[in-house]
Amino acid sequence: MEKRPHALLLKYPGTNCDAETARALEATGFATTILPVSRLDRDHLEGVSLVVFSGGFSYGDYIMSGRVARLITEQRIASALEEFRDRGGYLLGICNGFQILTQMGLLPAGSLVHNTSGRFICRWAGLDKRSDAAPLSFLPDHFELPVAHAEGRFVTADPADAERYLAEGLAPLTYTDDINGSFAGIAGLQDKTGRVFGLMPHPERFLHRADHYDPDWDGDAQWGWGYHFFRSLHAAVSASSPVPCPA
Amino acid sequence: MTENHRTPHATLPAPPFYRHIPIAALDGDALLSLSRRMKLSLSREDMLQVQAIFTDWGREPTDVELEVIAQTWSEHCKHRIFGATITHTGPEGPETIRSLFKTFIKDMSERVFARKPGFVISAFHDNAGFIRLDDQRAVCLKVETHNHPSAIEPYAGANTGLGGVIRDILGAGRGAKPIGSLDVFCFGPPDVSQAGIRGEDVIHPLGIMRGVVRGVRDYGNRMGIPTVSGAIQFDDAYIYNPLVFCGTAGVIAIKDIPKEVLPGQLIIAVGGRTGRDGLKGATFSSAALDTDSHAEDQQAVQIGNPIEEKKAADFVLAARDAGLIGFITDCGAGGFSSACGEMLSEGGGEIILDNAPLKEPGLISWEVFISESQERMVLSAAPGHLEALQALADLYETELTVLGKADGSGILKVRHHGEMVCELDCGRLHDAPVRHLRGHFTPPTGLPPGGDLPCDPPADLRRIFSDFAVVSREPIIREYDHEVQGNTVLKPLAGASGDAPQDAAVLRIDGSHRLMAMTQALLPEWGKTDPKAMGRACVDECFRQLVAAGADPDRIALLDNFCVGNPEDPDTLGALVESVKGLSALAEAYGAPFVSGKDSFYNYFETDDGPVSIPLTVLISGMGIVEDASHVTGASLRRPDSVLCVLGKTSAAMGGSIFARTNSHPALQVADFDHVAALERYRRYHQAVTQGWILSAHDIGEGGLAVALAEMAFSGKGGIEVSLDSLPVEGTVGRAARLFAETPGRLILEVSPGNLDALTSHFAGTAFATIGRAAADPSRLCVDWGDERVLNEDLAELKSLWKNGLTPYY
Repeated sequence: MEKRPHALLLKYPGTNCDAETARALEATGFATTILPVSRLDRDHLEGVSLVVFSGGFSYGDYIMSGRVARLITEQRIASALEEFRDRGGYLLGICNGFQILTQMGLLPAGSLVHNTSGRFICRWAGLDKRSDAAPLSFLPDHFELPVAHAEGRFVTADPADAERYLAEGLAPLTYTDDINGSFAGIAGLQDKTGRVFGLMPHPERFLHRADHYDPDWDGDAQWGWGYHFFRSLHAAVSASSPVPCPA
Repeated sequence: MTENHRTPHATLPAPPFYRHIPIAALDGDALLSLSRRMKLSLSREDMLQVQAIFTDWGREPTDVELEVIAQTWSEHCKHRIFGATITHTGPEGPETIRSLFKTFIKDMSERVFARKPGFVISAFHDNAGFIRLDDQRAVCLKVETHNHPSAIEPYAGANTGLGGVIRDILGAGRGAKPIGSLDVFCFGPPDVSQAGIRGEDVIHPLGIMRGVVRGVRDYGNRMGIPTVSGAIQFDDAYIYNPLVFCGTAGVIAIKDIPKEVLPGQLIIAVGGRTGRDGLKGATFSSAALDTDSHAEDQQAVQIGNPIEEKKAADFVLAARDAGLIGFITDCGAGGFSSACGEMLSEGGGEIILDNAPLKEPGLISWEVFISESQERMVLSAAPGHLEALQALADLYETELTVLGKADGSGILKVRHHGEMVCELDCGRLHDAPVRHLRGHFTPPTGLPPGGDLPCDPPADLRRIFSDFAVVSREPIIREYDHEVQGNTVLKPLAGASGDAPQDAAVLRIDGSHRLMAMTQALLPEWGKTDPKAMGRACVDECFRQLVAAGADPDRIALLDNFCVGNPEDPDTLGALVESVKGLSALAEAYGAPFVSGKDSFYNYFETDDGPVSIPLTVLISGMGIVEDASHVTGASLRRPDSVLCVLGKTSAAMGGSIFARTNSHPALQVADFDHVAALERYRRYHQAVTQGWILSAHDIGEGGLAVALAEMAFSGKGGIEVSLDSLPVEGTVGRAARLFAETPGRLILEVSPGNLDALTSHFAGTAFATIGRAAADPSRLCVDWGDERVLNEDLAELKSLWKNGLTPYY
C-alpha cells in the first residue's frame, strides 16, 4: 500500500514543465502521476491529495493564457476540482498552472496579463514571504526563484483588491523588485481555505543548490529553495486528513 | 506539349492532379529551360542524367517524379558541392579533391572514431550523430540553417528553423528527447541606414533581428526546450543574406539508437497536416536570392505551430519507450518525398497520397508529396503495433495516419486517386552527377602582424566594449526560456550577479551523474584574410570553451556548418577548401571528430550593382561530456583574494581581431598557434579541474585579454590587478597585442592562493604564468606593463557599456 501522498499532474497539450515538477514532488516524498488531459475524468481524483497544474503553454496560450485549459477542464470534469478542494484536497498551479487556476476562479479574482515590458522574461527574482501558506512554511522571509513568463503581471479590476489580498493574507508571495508590473508586486496567491496556491516563479527549477546561478550561493548545502517549497507542501498535505474518495 | 491524365472520378481535384512531362526528345538547352520553368534547380548535366534514366526505362517521367528527383538531388538534401570534384590551387600547389566531405570530414572523423572505440555511437547516417554519455545513454546535437526563409519572413523562417531541427532530434535513433537548443545569427549592423540598403523589399537588420529572435523564442519556449547557448555576428555583408543557425541537443538510451524499416511494416505519418505552405523549400534554398524572391517565394516559407509539434514529441517519446517504433524520421526539406524516400529507398514500398490528411482540399499529387508543412514525423511500425500507436496518438491528441507500407520490392511507388503517379527505382537516384568545380586561393603575403600598432588602452577598451560583436546578448537571452526542464546547471548568464557571460552551457542529464556541455564558435572576420586559420581558430575556440566549462577534452565531438556565397566563384570555393583543411587537421589533432554537419550555399543577393555575398561563415558547434557536477566551471570571478593565471602564449598577429576591425586597420596577419602545446595544456587544465584547483576560467577570445579580464569581474566579486610583464608571449609582442590580441589557445584561470603552488608545478613546462590577482575593491580593472599603469578603469562603467550595448536595438 502506497503511503506517500499522491500528486496528480494534469498535462495539457503544450504543458512542458510536468517532468521536472514531478521530479521535485518525488524528491520531497510525493507519489506522482502525470495525466494527459484527454483521459481526465472525475475518477482520476480518487485517492489523490494534490492536483498540480505545471508550467508551459497550454494549447499555445494564443488567446488569454490558461483560458482554453479552463474550458477543456470544465468540459471534462465540471466542478470536480471545487469539490475536491472542499473535501480537503490541495491544488497547486505553477506559472501556466497559476494562470489556469486564476482562469478557473479557484484563486482570488484577477488576471495574469502581459508583462509591462511586453516581453518574455527568463531570470531569477527575489521574493518576499508576506504571510503563511502551505508551500512556504519552511522557507525564509526572503528567498529567490527563477521566473520565466510573458504573461505574469497580476492585475485586479480595482487596484485596491490587490492590496486587500495582501492585507488578508491571500497574497503570500510578492516580488522584491518590480519585474513585470504586477499589482502590489504579487507573485503568488492562495485561496481562503489555504489549500489552493498559485505562483508565477518556478520552484521546480531550483531543486538542487547547483541550480543557482552563483556557484557560491550559501543558502543550503545541498538543496535549493524549491526543494523546501515542495517539502513544506508535503508537510501540509501529509498533516491534513486523507482525502476521501469521491462519491 | 503535356499529356494530361484525367479520370472520370467525380471527387478528383481539378484540373489534373498529375501529368507526364515529355523529356525524351529535348536537347540540353530545352531541358535546362524546363528545369527553370518548373523551379527544379537542376543543372543541364542533372537533367541530361534524368533523361538518360527515363530513356533506359522507356517512358516519360511524371511531374511527381521530377519533383522527387529535384528534391533528392538538391544542394539542400544531397550536399553536392561538398561531394564535388574540385580542382583547387592553393598555397600547396594544384590538387584535385574528390569530395571535401569524404576527404576532410568523414575519413578524418572515422580515423578518430578508430582511436576512441565506443565513444561515437553513430555519425553521418542518422538525423544526428550520437556520442556516449555513460553505459546506458548517448547524447546528440544537430545544427541546421534556415537562411533564405529568414531573409524573406524572419519570424516564420526562424520559428520553423528551430522547429525543424527539434524534429531532427525526435527523428534521431528511434526518437531522442530534445534537451537544449542553441541559436547563432549573422545580421547586418542594427544601426545601418535604410537608405544604404540596395534592393527593394530587403528587410532592415533590425526587423530581421527582432523577427528572428521572436521566432526562436516562440518555438523553443512553447516546446519546453531550453535555449541555452548562442552567438550573434554583425557585418554589412549579412544585410542581404542574414544567417540563422538553429541547433538542438538530445539524449537517448543507447539501445534505442538502431533503426530499421522491415518489409511489411506500415509507414505512418504523425503530427500536423499537409498543405501548400512550404512548397519547394529545398530547391528554393539551393539558389541565390534576389529582389523578386521577396515577392515570389513566400510559398516556400512555412508556418510554425509549436503545440502541434509538442503533441507529436510527447507521442514519439512515449511510443519509443513502449517499443513501438521501427524507424522514424522527420519531414523536413522535401516533405514526405524525402522522409518516405529515406525509409523506402533501399527496401521499397508504396505510399497512398489519398491517406495524407490535408489542411485544404484539392492539392495535386506533387504538392502533397513534397510539401514541407511543419510538425510532421514519419515512422515505420509492425502492423500489430498500430492499435497501441493509435491509443498513444489519442492520448496526446495528435493525428496519426497510415500512409503506406514497406514491401521489399526496391521500388518507391506513390499512388493517388488510384493511379501510379510515381514509380522510381531509387537505386538509380542515389548517385547524382558529380559536379566539377574550381577553387583558387592565394594567401596574402607580407602582412604586418599589427601587435605594435598605436594603442590608447582606455579608449580602445571602451570602443571594443561598445562594439556589437562584444556587447551582452542579455536582452535576447532573457526572452528565451533557458531553464525549462530544470537541468541548466551552467546558464548562459551566471556568476554572483547572474548576468555575466559564460563560455559554454552545461546541462544535467536525467538519470545520469554525467552532464553535457555545449557551445559554438564562428570567426568570419578571420576568414576574410586567412580562411585556413579561421577554420583552425573556430575548432580551437569551441573545444577550449567546452574544456574551460568542465568537459573532458578526450570526450568532445564537433559539428561543422558552412554558409557560403556562390560556389561557382573559384575564389569563394577556394577559401572554403582552405577553411575545411584547417578545421579538419585541427579537429583530428584534438581527437574531436565531426559527427554531423550541414552546408548552405548561394548566400548572395543580386543587386542592380552586382552580387553581394556573405563572407565565408563557418560555425563549429560542440558537445562535450562533463564527468561530474563538481567539474562544472563558470567564467566569473568568485573570490576577492584569488590569484589570476594565464595559460597559452600571446602573439603579435592581430588580423581579424575586434581591435583591428574597429580601428579600421588594413589587412593584418592572422594568428597561428602551436596546437600540440595547446592540447597538452587543455589536458592538464582538465586534470586541475578534477583536482578542484580551478575556481573559474574564461577563454580569451573576441576582444582579447583585457576584455576577458573585465568580463570575469562582471560578477562583482572582486576587482582585477594584473601585470602584462609575465604574460607568456611568442616573439616580440607590444602593448596592443598583449591587451587585445585574439591568439587562440589561451585561458585565464582563477585559483585560490592555497592551490597556486600545486597548480604551478602541475603546469611546469607549459606556457603558464601568474599575472596578478583579484582585488578586494570590486570597482577597478588595473593593468600594468613595466612601470606604466596602462589601464585603471571603472568596472561598473565598462559593465554598463557592455550590458546596455544591444538594449536600444532589441
